[in-house]
Amino acid sequence: MSIVQDRALNVRRAPLPLFGKVFTDSWRGLVGWGIGLAAAAFLYLPIYPSMRGASGMQALIDQLPPELIKTLNYDQIGTGAGYAQATLFGLLGFVLLTIAATGWGAAALGGDEESGRLELTLAHAVTRVQVAVARFCAIAVKILALSALLFAVVLLLNDSAELQIEVGNLLGTSLLFGGVSLLTASVALLGGALTGRRIGGIASGAGVAVLGYVFNALGNQSASLHWLYNLSPYYWAFGDSPLSSGANVTTIVTFYAISLVLAAFAALALRQRDIGA
Amino acid sequence: MSHVAITQTTDVRGPGHTPDAAIDVVDLVKQFGHNRALNGVTFQVARGTVFGVIGPNGAGKTTIMRALLDIIRPSGGQATVLGTPSRNAGPQLRRRIGYLPGELILEGRTSGRRLLAHYADISGPVPAGHVQELAERLGLDLDRPVRKLSKGNKQKLGIVQAFMHRPELLVLDEPTSGLDPLMQQEFLKMIREARDRGQTVFLSSHVISEIQQAADEVAILRDGRIVTINSVEELRSTAVRHLRLVASGVRPTDLAALLGGLEGVTTLNCSLTPTNDAEAVATLSGEIASFVQAISVLQLRDLVLEEPDLEESVLKLYSTPALVPQ
Repeated sequence: MSIVQDRALNVRRAPLPLFGKVFTDSWRGLVGWGIGLAAAAFLYLPIYPSMRGASGMQALIDQLPPELIKTLNYDQIGTGAGYAQATLFGLLGFVLLTIAATGWGAAALGGDEESGRLELTLAHAVTRVQVAVARFCAIAVKILALSALLFAVVLLLNDSAELQIEVGNLLGTSLLFGGVSLLTASVALLGGALTGRRIGGIASGAGVAVLGYVFNALGNQSASLHWLYNLSPYYWAFGDSPLSSGANVTTIVTFYAISLVLAAFAALALRQRDIGA
Repeated sequence: MSHVAITQTTDVRGPGHTPDAAIDVVDLVKQFGHNRALNGVTFQVARGTVFGVIGPNGAGKTTIMRALLDIIRPSGGQATVLGTPSRNAGPQLRRRIGYLPGELILEGRTSGRRLLAHYADISGPVPAGHVQELAERLGLDLDRPVRKLSKGNKQKLGIVQAFMHRPELLVLDEPTSGLDPLMQQEFLKMIREARDRGQTVFLSSHVISEIQQAADEVAILRDGRIVTINSVEELRSTAVRHLRLVASGVRPTDLAALLGGLEGVTTLNCSLTPTNDAEAVATLSGEIASFVQAISVLQLRDLVLEEPDLEESVLKLYSTPALVPQ
């Protein structure tokens, strides 16, 4: 009877506790990734004017094997958009956000289950689907925040670094950048949910990202390998040079839609399994 | 005080199947690959009682508890918790349960207070000040980072986590592990208070001594089967006591003849002491009345009759072939 009475002694509770918990736990990490991403931009972009002007740089690139140039996407490096794409969105920034996305995706369910903490969370008044959805949403917000940061930093440097990138193209590319990372995170989330282990998430997330990059690089080598582009999320995002020619809205939407579907599968997979068994 | 509570609960329990049981488990089976962790487990826990399950490691205690919380899904049979089938039960059911996992792993970077606030946000409402009250009782510092807490203090945090929202049912897997004897006593007091408030407690241990003071009924689990379910009083009455007595004016052989004929006396050993008295060492099971009557004719110099050793009788049940559970 006293149980019923105690219900009256309600105290204020945080809304969306599962979603919010991700940020109270990992805001330091998020800030760290943000600093890393901004540092990459500040490292590469301001030197573009001197690189473009230096004939020695072009001579150096001309000496590189053409296959390497194509692999690194350096063939368009003569324009501001091509330079920013090749160095930042397509290389260092991509690597950084891929690592972050894979780590977050793998830790959210697989890592949490493997450590034994998920068991206690699920013993409380939540459903497994709620846990999966809240954690996916938190990852999506973090990735979008980092993409927005990159958008802002590039915009800030656009004039001083003489990049001449159109704002609309930059926005579209930033959304694609976030989309391809969220796809990676969703695959990692699903891998973790299916296996109950962090390594399952890491392997699947990193696998998709690395293969996507490799298929794009191979496709760049010859027309007979162009079919590999179809299998490369990296190519779907950056193959049409969105920073110079504009991003396709359908492509952007597709990335986020596929990520949602993968997250839904992750939630269903988690719902079916024995946890920590 | 506990004796009063036990008689109250035997009234509540009633015979046989209780439709309004807090936990009703019927023929529960769980198969992990080739390993059958639960092999047809059936039992009921009446509301407002303390039910203990004792068994060696790997007997299936944790598996039963995880199935009740819907963390794992049984391969067969059914578990009904507070009137709701546990399989795919919604969050409303788990809001009414407090759970302490056997392998308690807590997020380490946050403080105990913040961690509890998080679980309260999910499963609350928690009466204001209740967390502080529980922490003070157990002597737990809520402001230290969880990773810096000792095993015992982490366990206390887990206990607070399970108790704080005053759930109707407490499911506690090896709750006393890591607690010092003083804290074990405090914890057992909390269990009895919970029962007096009407809460039901389902707890496990690998040794009966940890929970015999608090449990009304004890199920003994072995190899995924329940060997027997008894009240602690019943276990006590079947348990063996160790006895030692010294009598003067009697020869060891006569003493052996006197005691050896008594029902329940085993492993009798009579000898002559350096002071020319006769000493008998034996174990005694069952009622002590006939024994006391028999020794009244002796000139006793010393008599030690120990508390019934439940541990020993439980261990005996572990090793005897499984009985068909009632």
